[in-house]
Formats: sequence, structure tokens, C-alpha cells
Amino acid sequence: MLALQLLVNGIVTGSALGVVAVSFALIYATTRVFHVAHAGVYTLGGYLAWSLMRHGVPAIAALLVAMAGCVVLGSLIQILLYARLERRGAAQLVVLIASLGALAVIQNLIAAIYSPDILNFSAAWAGQVVALPGGLRLTGAQIATVVLDFAAFGATLVFAHRTLLGKRIRAVASNPFLAEITRLEPRRVHVYVMAIASALVCLPGVLGPLDYGLQPYGGVTPLLTATIAMIAGGIGSLAGAFGLAVAIVVLQNLALLVMPGEWSIGVTFAIFVVFMLFRPRGLFAGK
Amino acid sequence: MILELEGLAAGYGAKTVISDLSFAVAEGEILALLGHNGAGKTTTLKTAMGLIAPRAGLVRFAGVPLARVPVAERVARGLRLLPEGRGIFPDLTVAENIDVVAARLAAGGAMFTPEALYRLLPVLAERRTTRAGSMSGGQQQMLAFALAILGTPRCLLLDEPSIGLAPNLVERLFAQVRDVCRAHGVAVVLVEQNVAAALALADRVAIMNSGKLVFDGTPEAARASNLWEHF
Repeated sequence: MLALQLLVNGIVTGSALGVVAVSFALIYATTRVFHVAHAGVYTLGGYLAWSLMRHGVPAIAALLVAMAGCVVLGSLIQILLYARLERRGAAQLVVLIASLGALAVIQNLIAAIYSPDILNFSAAWAGQVVALPGGLRLTGAQIATVVLDFAAFGATLVFAHRTLLGKRIRAVASNPFLAEITRLEPRRVHVYVMAIASALVCLPGVLGPLDYGLQPYGGVTPLLTATIAMIAGGIGSLAGAFGLAVAIVVLQNLALLVMPGEWSIGVTFAIFVVFMLFRPRGLFAGK
Repeated sequence: MILELEGLAAGYGAKTVISDLSFAVAEGEILALLGHNGAGKTTTLKTAMGLIAPRAGLVRFAGVPLARVPVAERVARGLRLLPEGRGIFPDLTVAENIDVVAARLAAGGAMFTPEALYRLLPVLAERRTTRAGSMSGGQQQMLAFALAILGTPRCLLLDEPSIGLAPNLVERLFAQVRDVCRAHGVAVVLVEQNVAAALALADRVAIMNSGKLVFDGTPEAARASNLWEHF
């Protein structure tokens, strides 16, 4: 019974981290930027939705406006920071440090505007507990999380493989040089990717805090797990990133049956080490 | 002349790779650009394409100077590059490769639509759903050639298209190049290590040595001269 509840909780949280991983993988595969500031975009989404819902805006509208805010922030980071550094031929390490700087600015601005402490983010529907067969209990926020995050993942796959823009993004990721000389305009595609990934990451950024509150520095741990899922899943594989994120969080949750909760991050890194030793290119790496 | 290079100089960092380079190619003409490794052939093509900024000189396309014209606009005007060894999107299927480039380059009235390419290169039609990176070297090069001519090309810059291909495949690929060039008046600048095949295909030959042009003439004149002295 407890194991089943932990498994389901793992799938719920894993689906949220899966969307973080998919969005991060989409950015990394296309732009080759290790976009650490994505954690800041994730965090901003939650705060924007919280501000709106506090003023009576319905949850769906608040989510959509928060997504728009994240799209603007992500696009600005690409246009004003990464694209400029790329034009100047900056090394990847320089871009990573710039991204860390952007994350620090976003986190500190959020802490200054709101509060550095945890804010309670709640809605009546989110806290309602639903009893399911088998003695399972899920909150409204958890049900919304699993449904919307799985839907977002499915929609991303359909978008990437069935739409012209999705194929164009995959082409830029596959061969950026050829993309340049076939007029696919990689730099413009990078902005589109950053906008799409920022909208995506806003979803778990809003739904997650409904369960455990808002914190300005709360985006880093999800991004760390998402990064490990992306690498273990195989860079370039969106399904691999999502699947590994779900698997990692399920294992973290099931590990609670045999070890204390503070060891959960250890489970994540143990999985990472196993992959680095036996399958360093990841589970679904391209041939 | 569709493509003219005048007194061109270019390089990387502190190193100058080509200097005072001038040649031109006319509509429907095949120019073989030969030279030893490191002579500056690829740098020449990249500079013409706008991928490397020239340090001196001028590139003119259809009579218009290209100094301030970005790569995407040069491509749209019909200047195309088939890069050495990386002319496909390996993670996409053949049809996806063609669709994604056609959407940007083959608008209505284009010389080579996807359907025309599938007729011209039936092997691609048979492999539509195959992941491009999993095809044989010859098939990948046919796809790379197809992507280079999609839309309405006016001048093709081919960078070592025969590299890694069996002789019969080189023959087949060069026959396609010749057909496209003759039937549609497309100019070709062919950079090639396979000198015999290049001389057989070309209307004119230019030979580079250490970044400078040392020979410009017909294939017959090239054969009559001591060709290897130029390398």
C-alpha cells in the first residue's frame, strides 16, 4: 500500500521533472548552451501565477499569463545574452558562467520583490484530496500535474516530429552548419526553442509549488535532476529525458522504503554514476 | 558571369589562407578548382558563401556585390554550397531532410521541387522514411546533392563531393551534376581531390597553390601543361 502510494507519487513528481528535462534537453540539443538560468525561468513561472491568483485571476488564465512571462524571459536571455556571446565567439564555459550569472540575478530579484522565505501557494482545488481505488490518495494539484505534464510531453513529441517548425528545430540540432547554408536560420530557431522550452518549463514551475510552496532558489534541484535525466536518457532524445526523469524520481521515492529521505539525492547520483560507467552516451542516444 | 571573385583575401585569426584571388564562373559552366591540401579551396568557397568575412577584395553574384549580404540571403538568391562530408541532417529521415529545406527554399515555381528531386534521384524516393544518417555513403551524398539543388540554384559550390565514394558512385554523381548544369544553366565550382574525374567533368580548370591562383584554363591546357608542377 505504502509502496504503491510512493510509486504513484514518484510518477506524479517524475512527470513534472520530465517536462523540466524535456525543455532543458530541447535547449541543449539545439543551442548547445547549458542553460542553467532555466531554473530561474521555472521559478519565475510559479511566482507570476501566485501573484495573479492572489488577485483573483482564475488558475488557467494565471498559468497562461505566467507562460507568456516565461517566454519573454527565456527569449530575452537568448537574444541579449547567449546570441551576443555566440557572435563574439565565446567559449562554452563563458556562456555557462553567464547563464549562472543570469540565474543569480533572477533568483535575487525574485527574493527582493517577494521574499527569500518559502511562500505558501495554495488554491482550493489544488488541496482537495481525491481517494482512488487501492487506497491511493492524490491532491488536485497532483492530478493536474500528472495529466498536464504527460499531455505537454506528448504534445512536444508530436510538435517535434509532425510540424515543420519541429522538424526545422531538429534539423538545426542535427547539423547546425548545414542549417546555416540551407537558410534554416539557426539563430532565429534558437530564439523559438528558448521560447517554447520556457513555456514548457512554466507548467511544472506553477504546478509543483502548489504542492510544496514557492522558494526563490527552488529551481536548482529540479534542474539538477532534469540534467541527469537528460544525460542518462541520451542527449538529443526527448523521450529518453522524460522517461529517465520519471524513473529517477520513482526510484527516489521507492528508496524511502529502505533509507531515510535525505538520501534521495544520493539515489539520483548513484543512477548517474551507473550510466556514466556502463552507458555514458545515455539510454536512447542517437546512433 | 554569375559568380565573380576579385582580389579576394581571407583567413582565420592571424593566418591569411587566400590572397589576391580572382576568378569567375559563367551560367552553365563547370569550373574545377584544384590544388594541394591546404591550398585554400574550401576557404575560397566559404568566403564566397559569406561564412568567412573577406579581408580584402570583392565577391559579386549576378553582377551585385555581396559584401553586406548575409548567408541566408545569398542562399535565397541561388548561391548554394555542398559542404564536404556534412551535407545532410543525419537524425532526420530523407523526407524530413527534403521537406524542411524545401519549406525555406523551394517556394512556388522553383526549379527543383521535392517531387522533381524524387524523380531525378529515385533512390531518395525509395528511402523517404529512412533515417538519413543510417544510409550508405553514396546515398547520403545523393541526398546532400539534392539538398544543395533544392529550389532554384544558380551557382553550386561543391566541396569534395566524391570523397569516400566508390568510382561508380562518383561517375553517377558527376553525371547528375553535369545534367543539372547543362539542362538548367546552373554554374558549378567544383573543389575536388579526384583530379582525373574533375578534369573529365569541367569546362574550365583553376589551380590554387598556397592561397593564390596559379593556373586558369581549359582541361586540355591543364592536361598539356605539367599539371603536377602547379600543386
